[in-house]
Order: sequence, then C-alpha cells, then structure tokens
Amino acid sequence: MTLKLTRRRTLAGTGTLILPALIGASLLPREAAAITELVAAEWGGDIVEAMKQIAARQSAVGFNWVLFQGGAGSILPKIKAAWPRVEYDYVAGWEGSFYGMMAEDWVETVSIADVPNLADIPEKIIVKDKKGNWKAVPRAAGGIYFGYRTDTAPIKITSIDDLLSPKLKRAICWPGPTQSMMLQIVALALHGGGSETNMEPGWKLMKELAKSGNIGRIAVTDVDFTNSFTSGETSVGFFAEPSWAAVAKNFPITRLTKQPGMKTFLYQSGFAVMKNRPNTKLTLEFINFAISPSMNTLYSQIAGEAPLNVKASAPSNLAHLSFAPAQMTEFVYVPDYRVVLASQDAWTKRWETDIAPLLQ
Amino acid sequence: MPLALLPAALILGLLLLAPMAGLLVQSFRHFTPGHVGSDVGAPLTLANYRELLNPAIVGLFVETFRISAIATLIGLVVSYPLARCIVRRFSAASRVACIGFLVALILLSMLVRTYAIELAFGSVGMLRPLLRAFGASPNSGWYIQCLVGAGLLHYLIPLSTLMLLGTVQSVDPRLADAAQSLGAPAWRAHLSTTLPLSRPGLIGTFMVGFTFSISAFVIPMVLGNGRILFISNTIYDRFSDIADYPSGAAISVVMLVVSLTAVGILSWLAGRPAVPE
Repeated sequence: MTLKLTRRRTLAGTGTLILPALIGASLLPREAAAITELVAAEWGGDIVEAMKQIAARQSAVGFNWVLFQGGAGSILPKIKAAWPRVEYDYVAGWEGSFYGMMAEDWVETVSIADVPNLADIPEKIIVKDKKGNWKAVPRAAGGIYFGYRTDTAPIKITSIDDLLSPKLKRAICWPGPTQSMMLQIVALALHGGGSETNMEPGWKLMKELAKSGNIGRIAVTDVDFTNSFTSGETSVGFFAEPSWAAVAKNFPITRLTKQPGMKTFLYQSGFAVMKNRPNTKLTLEFINFAISPSMNTLYSQIAGEAPLNVKASAPSNLAHLSFAPAQMTEFVYVPDYRVVLASQDAWTKRWETDIAPLLQ
Repeated sequence: MPLALLPAALILGLLLLAPMAGLLVQSFRHFTPGHVGSDVGAPLTLANYRELLNPAIVGLFVETFRISAIATLIGLVVSYPLARCIVRRFSAASRVACIGFLVALILLSMLVRTYAIELAFGSVGMLRPLLRAFGASPNSGWYIQCLVGAGLLHYLIPLSTLMLLGTVQSVDPRLADAAQSLGAPAWRAHLSTTLPLSRPGLIGTFMVGFTFSISAFVIPMVLGNGRILFISNTIYDRFSDIADYPSGAAISVVMLVVSLTAVGILSWLAGRPAVPE
C-alpha cells in the first residue's frame, strides 16, 4: 500500500495555507490606540457582565478582561510567576485573596484622596494591613450559604443534620476543597460547636456526610454547581450568592440565610490595585467611578451582590441578605479570614487524605 | 557532539531541563501557609515528599495508573483489529477515508469531546432517564469510573489505531498464510505469527497511550464529578488553587519518576526478541 499523504506534502500544504493568511493579516489596517487599555482580572458570569456595563458608561479607559479560572485565588500563582512584571491593573477579589496578595506585598495602598467615593463606604469593612493602611476598595457584599431547589429536593431542609438524611441520596452538590475557601467545613464546624480555629467537629461531620453517599457531585467550579442544579442532578448545596442567583433565574430556590443553626457567611468583593503598573491613576479613577452610588447600584442589580456604597440602593431581590442587628448575631458569621487563608493548605490536604477516599 | 545538534540541545536545555531543575529545587523548599509558593531563600526540607507517603495519596497514584492502564489496554484490544482491517481488508479509497476520519478525531478538541460525552452519558446527560430506567445510577462510583475510562478511550482508540497501521503493515501477511497452509487454524496462525511480530509496535503504542492517560487533566475533571480525580488534577490544585508550589512540585517529580520507570520497563520489554532465540 502506498499512502498519498507524505510529510513533505503535508508541510507544503500547510505552508501554502498559512503564508497567505499571515501576509494578509499583516496588511490589514490597524486602528490606532485612542485610549489607554487597562487589564482587569474578574470573575465570569454576571459579575464581569456588570463590570462591562459600568465600563461602557465611561470613556476614559478601555478594558481587556481576564477571567479567573476557578476561584479568585487562582490568579495568585499567575501573578507570582510574573511578578514584578505583572500585567493586571486591578484584580477583583474578596478577603481571602486580598490577604494573600497583601502577604506578598503586591497591592497599592488606597485612600480617600485617590478614591473620593470611599468616603461613602463604611471604614470598618475596608481591608487593612497591619499598619492600618487601606489595601483594597470594597464594592459589594455577598453571602455564602445553604440552600436547595424547592421543586426537586426530596425533603425540606431545616438543619444541617438533615443533610445526612437517607432521602437525600446523591442529592447534594458539595463545594470542592478549592471552592469558597473551605467555609463549607467551617459551617459544619460551627454546627458541631467549633469554628475556623477548631475544625475537628467540622471534619467529623464532613466524614459522616461523605460516608452517607448523599453527595452526588463535588463542584470544582461555579459552573459545575449551576449545571448540576439546573439539570436536576442535585438539589442541595452551599454556594455563593451569584451561583444561587444564576440558578434562581429559572428554578425556585429556597435560601437558608435566616434558618436557625445554619450560618450565612458574609464576604466583601472589591478591587485590589496592583503595584508596578504604569496606569495606577487611571485605574483608581475608574474604580472611583465604579463605586459611585449609581454605578454601585447598577453593579448590584446585575451581579447579585449588595452594594457597599451607603448612597446606593440595594435591589429587592437581595432581601434575603439584609439582616437586622439581632439577625446578624443569630444568622451571620464572619470568620477571621486571615486564619482561613493560612489554613487553606492544611485543610485542602486534609480533604485529600480524609474525605476524598470516602467519596468514590 | 556534532555542531548540528547544538540548536536542539540548547532548546532542550532551555525549555525542558532548566524548568525541570527549578521544579526539583522547589520540591525541597519549605512552604509557609498563606503565601504564594515558597519564599525566596526558604529552607530545604523533605516534608513535601514525606506527606506523599500518606495511604490516600498513594491510593491516588494507584487509581490514576489503574484506570489509565485498563483504558489503554482496552484501547489496544479495539485498535489492533481495526488497524488490521484498514490495512488488509479495505480498498485504497476506504483506507484513505478511514485514516482521514481517525486524524479528524485526533484533532477534535479535548474539551469538545469530553463535554460531548458528559452531555450524552454523564450524570447531567440526555441519557440519564434511560440509565435510571435500567437501574443504573449515573452518579454511582463505578459508572463515573467507566465514564472517565470512556473519555480516555475516545482519544486512545484513534491514536492507537493510527500508530498500529504501520505495525500491521510491516508484518508480512504471507507468514500467516504459510502457517495456515501447514494446517494451523486462522486464529492460531495469527497468534503465532502476526501478534508476536507486532509486539514492539503494540508495546510502543501502549507506552504512548498510557503516557497520555496518566497525564489526563480535563477528562477526569469534567467526567469525574469531582469524585474521581487523577494526579494531574491534584498537581493543578496545589499549584493553582492553594499556591503550595513545593508540594505540587514534589508530586510532579514523583509522578515523573514513576512514569519514566514504567516507560523504561516497557521499552526494555519492547527491545527483547519476540521469539526466544
């Protein structure tokens, strides 16, 4: 048998196709760069959509959007590899990733002089370093909490103990070890009388849950969770507000944010401005614009997170994340994120050795 | 060393050996929780390797190699007759069409083919009601393992078939004919002539398929429901999500050593004579 396909012919054919394309591309007219383009690292889905709409309402800067491949922490190794030639002007994140960046001394200090709209954001929630310098600009608050799909969940969930019910066989979508900074285990620990500094009750309960066979999917990305819920594969979970909001667009959801014994974890999302970039002033001006009352309201409506600018208005569909002072004590838990961050390595390895083998 | 090899040696040294050396050094560094990677000048330690002795991590290695070996063997069993059929039975036109089809399958994006399997057979797939009707739970552990194996086979079968075409073609068909003319049944003629002469090609194909399988990342991530993970996924988690470079580097180095040992043994087997002299 003699095959007609030879290496010489393949190379000649490939060259014949590629060369004209390259020449053609080089001859195309190029638009001159009229405005400065900032590189922004953001979450995908509704969050980047909200930021795109805010960016469209100003003309001072253009944007090259880079999306996280996983959680906000997934950008940190990329910055580490490139530092100090980092290409991101700002990196969106939350307390967990902010403290990681601060430990590496990557972020600029911000002040009201740089970002005047910071005056309308409560100072006590601004992330600070050990010297009290402000290191991130908050834009919204979100919650991570338990919930279930009302139309498909086999039972009504009223407590964490219900997660062990035999009726929930393979019905739970549980966050993977790199999701939500393991607050899901902290939630179990709180139920057992522990906390982020005493996780043993959480690990004990997690083992029981893994052995129960009730976990149908371990979500390693946000999309895993929404796919699993919208397809009906699973019905019960512990995820962040934007993920619940994505499912709630098409299916009835019961959010357990004010259920006794089931804590809601509050976090803030915001902007960290990277050092060593040539566009710091423009970046800060854009951030100031983005947290202005009208833009913060717009962000909140699209992204599904509560605005942190006191002059912005929160959409009515976030009422479940609005807590009276007495409710804050009963239903809300804000962990020490420095402890949570420092424990990620140990907790992830513990998951791999103690929990993962029980899930197969 | 001939001068002509200098460019290749430089590229190999710059792009492969230097990063690997960096990885090796990183694997011995101490990691401070909360930081990204090891600190500059971090002390050296064996702790990153010691933690790999945990039975759960050893189990992860075993699981990766087990599923990969089974999928590669099944791929060979399917591909060899297919390759023989294409070479010996098909007309020239059908042969070209088949080879073109196999090449197209190889070039198909890994993500596309993996999500195609997930959407058809996965626990969120279209066939989910059918599977449940037959009493099979698309969320059960054994089913997910099968699904990961199917994902690997989707790539392994076209790859192995293409590789085995040359092997089958190089075996003289008259040897099997001669065996049959001397009274051997067809199956025995092939087992005693075609198969032993194909052994180096089969082992080589197994090596390539096995290497691909154990390093698979997307397939277990998408089809494994987060419950079946390969070593590659763990390495990614260590580097990307918890930024523990030293631990990720230690797993990578162990994975490399184990893989090279397996390939070395297989190469040695391939080099031995097919029929004892």
